[in-house]
Amino acid sequence: MMLDHMLLLAIGVPLAVAALIFSGMPKRHSVKLAYLGFGLPALIALYAWVSFPGNLGDRYAFLASYDTGLSALGIKLTLGLNGISLPMFVLAGVVGLAAGLYAIQSGAERLKIYLALLLVMHSGLMGMFASVDVFFLYFFHELALIPTFIMVGIWGGRDRNYAAMKMTIYLTLGAMLSLIGLIAVYVQSDAGGFSLIELRQTIQTAPFSATVQKYGFGLLMFGFGILVSLWPFHTWAPLGYGAAPSSAAMLHAGVLKKFGLYGLIQVALPLLPLGAMHWSGWLTVLALGNILVVGFVTMAQRDLKQVISYGSVMHMGYAFLGVACVSTIGAGGAILMMLAHGLSVALSFLLATSIHHRTQTFDLNEMGGLAQKAPVLAAYFVAATMATIGLPGMANFWGELTIFVAVWKFSPWAAVGAVSGVLITAIFALRATAKVFFGPQSDALAKSSTFVPIVDLRWSERVPALILLAMLLLVGFWPKSLSTHLNGTLEAIYPAVESQLAAVAQK
Amino acid sequence: MEPYHFAIVVLLAPLVSAALIALMSRKRGGVATVISVLAAAVVAVVGLKLTLGGERFALNASWLDVGSFTLSIGFLFDDLSGLMLAVVGLVGLAVHVFSIGYMHDDAAKARYFGGLSLFMFSMLGIVFANNLFMIFIFWELVGFSSYVLIDHYHERQSAAEASKKAFISNRVGDVGFMLGILWCYWSLGTVNLAEISSAVEGGSAVATGIPLLLFCGAVGKSAQIPLQVWLPDAMEGPTPVSALIHAATMVAAGIFMLCRIEPLFVAAPQALSVVMWVGTITALYAAFCAIVQNDIKKVLAYSTLSQLGYMVAAFGLGSLRVAHGEDSVHSVVIAAGAGAAMFHLTTHAFFKALLFLGSGSVIHACHHEQNIFRMGGLRKLPVTFYTFTLAVLAIIGVPGLAGFFSKDAILYLALANNKAVFVILAITAVLTAFYMIRMWKLVFLGEPRSDEARHAHESGPSMTVPLVVLAILAVIGGYGVVYGKLAGDYLALVPHAHGREHIVVLVTSVAVLLVGALAAYRYYPSVDRDALAARSPGVFASLKLLNESFDGIYGYYIQKVQQRFAMLLNFLEQIFLSGLAVRGLAWVVGLFGMGARALHVGAVSAYAYWFLIGLVFLWVFAGGWF
Repeated sequence: MMLDHMLLLAIGVPLAVAALIFSGMPKRHSVKLAYLGFGLPALIALYAWVSFPGNLGDRYAFLASYDTGLSALGIKLTLGLNGISLPMFVLAGVVGLAAGLYAIQSGAERLKIYLALLLVMHSGLMGMFASVDVFFLYFFHELALIPTFIMVGIWGGRDRNYAAMKMTIYLTLGAMLSLIGLIAVYVQSDAGGFSLIELRQTIQTAPFSATVQKYGFGLLMFGFGILVSLWPFHTWAPLGYGAAPSSAAMLHAGVLKKFGLYGLIQVALPLLPLGAMHWSGWLTVLALGNILVVGFVTMAQRDLKQVISYGSVMHMGYAFLGVACVSTIGAGGAILMMLAHGLSVALSFLLATSIHHRTQTFDLNEMGGLAQKAPVLAAYFVAATMATIGLPGMANFWGELTIFVAVWKFSPWAAVGAVSGVLITAIFALRATAKVFFGPQSDALAKSSTFVPIVDLRWSERVPALILLAMLLLVGFWPKSLSTHLNGTLEAIYPAVESQLAAVAQK
Repeated sequence: MEPYHFAIVVLLAPLVSAALIALMSRKRGGVATVISVLAAAVVAVVGLKLTLGGERFALNASWLDVGSFTLSIGFLFDDLSGLMLAVVGLVGLAVHVFSIGYMHDDAAKARYFGGLSLFMFSMLGIVFANNLFMIFIFWELVGFSSYVLIDHYHERQSAAEASKKAFISNRVGDVGFMLGILWCYWSLGTVNLAEISSAVEGGSAVATGIPLLLFCGAVGKSAQIPLQVWLPDAMEGPTPVSALIHAATMVAAGIFMLCRIEPLFVAAPQALSVVMWVGTITALYAAFCAIVQNDIKKVLAYSTLSQLGYMVAAFGLGSLRVAHGEDSVHSVVIAAGAGAAMFHLTTHAFFKALLFLGSGSVIHACHHEQNIFRMGGLRKLPVTFYTFTLAVLAIIGVPGLAGFFSKDAILYLALANNKAVFVILAITAVLTAFYMIRMWKLVFLGEPRSDEARHAHESGPSMTVPLVVLAILAVIGGYGVVYGKLAGDYLALVPHAHGREHIVVLVTSVAVLLVGALAAYRYYPSVDRDALAARSPGVFASLKLLNESFDGIYGYYIQKVQQRFAMLLNFLEQIFLSGLAVRGLAWVVGLFGMGARALHVGAVSAYAYWFLIGLVFLWVFAGGWF
């Protein structure tokens, strides 16, 4: 009985806990409840993963529908998971738990409010990927986005007001464009509703006209693109993440940002394949901009958090390239990449904050030799670095590799650009790692350790990091644990897309 | 048990060891040592059983499926991988045992042995791999374990730099490698080694670019020009690591990989001559560099580069038509390049691992003094001295020792296929004898030239026993009886000279050996200065310049070109994208906002209220109450 509504619980429980905390619960109980709010969605996500049915085809698992009083507009809160949303749902659960645990031990000022806002965000994230209804997909994204602005504005670091404002302008613009695109799809289709199931059924008999597809996909591509920091609309990201408190950065860069790409793969490509084909050249160029231009910009950064932020922007280029291929392999690679990147970037932000606690700086030129004081922290950071640069054994490798395979088929020259990116990543990631941890201890480190002795990674920091790392390794060694479900759904949806494109290409 | 069960045991034993060490015994170095050495013993014993047992098999399973793309994991255990398995197992165990003594007092012993086990796992993955993607995966993993082990003394800036450099140089090659795999996948429709082979035999066209791009991977991993710069720096790692990874096995993986994809080269022969010249030039260049080194490990590192160049050149020399049977009417084409390369890889693994471990024993005895001009008189370390001397004789090609046979096979192949290469390789052999005898004399003969050398004592049995075992292999490894046991059918691919050619090769190799060895012996007195620098400073300086030219050019490129380009892009990003564009956007938004200025309270949280108000409107509208 409870299990029938488990997706609703994954969304509702964090929200309810947030509401309880807002309503003035004492701090002691607030923290205890927060464990529930962060833990339950993760458990539900894991359960959904383990019990996910095989041979699902294009159907959804754990489907449940709730009337919210909007059915006159064809809007229903329909929750369910398919192979595309399952990896994202698991990602949201896992990163949410890690970010929550890290926040609880962070000792932030006004901790209660901080936790409550994170819980609201977490609820939005779970809802975003569990929604079958496009309206709620969008709604939950907004629900998660607003607390982000507030957290950056209140708990942020340097330049927090400017950063919060800039993030708000960019992301609101991106959200507006994609909203227009989604409404266009809604208005133009005969489905009379927002449900993806119905929309997909409708286009099988009555596909959108080429014009609608062209403009619709264009709006979605740029709208979603801004949300995912597509070059050159990415400059909000390094600034925002630089200022954001660590748990908010983990949740935004790790999960929330994936919304745009997820929307492209789950909604836009299957519904608007001709539009996707029309724009794929442009998208390729912009994605290579992410990989190569932003890649070089990352090399010039001298601040650890900026290296991670720019690096994260760069890696979104791979996922966009996967989308630009408009193929099963490309879309599958993009999802694997998003999952892996979400885990690794969250881990990187977490560890960067832990480094900052020990060095009191993010400036790479002032760091050095931290491994002598904190070998465990160093080991975790090296692991995160290796995930970032796509070492086999880490989930990231599968995403990159699958995308490379797809891109070569699509355009060998684009593949040359994309594969060169792995070199750029290695350069900036290894350089930062060596600067922070290796070599003799820096003067700044020696000085600060005379006042307060530097301790190695504490267990309260280690547990959330370990959760992320374990997940990276699990998928890294056993990619089929998720890819089988992913592939099942893609093979049910995407061949239609590909054959439609092939038919047009023949004409 | 089926043979593949043994293969799985061999592959997983070191992985289990690495995982156990990482999870449990970070602070218990002794436990880690035991676990890791046991894993290496399992690899050596079971591995040798597999190789000598003669059973060969193939196994395949899918690892990832996305759409039409399938990436497989599987074993291809043929004579080539059997040979490589034996080499990795034998040298691996010797190095593990040696490390017990060498790393005894190291504070981070557990990390060291964990890294060694991870390396063994990754290396065996390459050996067993049945497709190019799988080779690439383990190729990256050996790179990672190499990175960790080079950076073992991470508090030294030089170690931090060296590990980074090794990883990045390898990645440069791997970009090409990956592109080659992708091209192969979409062009031939498969990356499975057996299927590639049958596709080529079936007449599939192979673009020259495919083997050339795949070769880029070998250029990085086997440290060929122009990516050779990382290997000398990698000597920052502990000496047993240099023996195992940076001399005997990992750097030889490039040659192994080339032999794996030999059919592609047969189909695209133009690529072969590129390979041949890259190897030949590397062999000569590195031999020149070795002459002016004063660090015992650096001499050996450049020697390794040079010998790897020999192997790559051998592979590039390609196939050979040889008489079949008694009469010379029937002849067959054999993959002599691959045969000679693998033969030299095997003998080199034995004597070069011995040289490195011997140098480790010397360094250990001299309290980490590595300058050969501050050594001397170390023949008082009897086991080290005699085994090291055997290894020196083997590498310079004294008849009867392992290096002689394999080097002669390569020289003969060069004589048959390309005279210019033959001449260059012969000159390289002169230089090899020259720099090896120079080092040997300075280290072991004469009087001690420092307190460290004066107080040196022979190391304990855990270090001397591996030396003896490797010395035996360096003597017998070149004989067909022994090599044939390990190599199976690969023995038949080793080219053998007959008649007049045999005499030419034999005379050449003995002559170059005598010239080089005697010249060095007479030229270098046992003093604490480099005789070449004193007597011919011009020659010395030119060789130094040659030695440092690549690092100089790359350093210039990184500092002055790459980093400045990055700074420029960053500047443009900050000025245009972040500055002007955003301000412009803010201005447009500002216009919209004019009318709403009254409602705008200036805080970000205002957006939350807007969101809620919009939501209320939506519900009111949908409910039909409007």
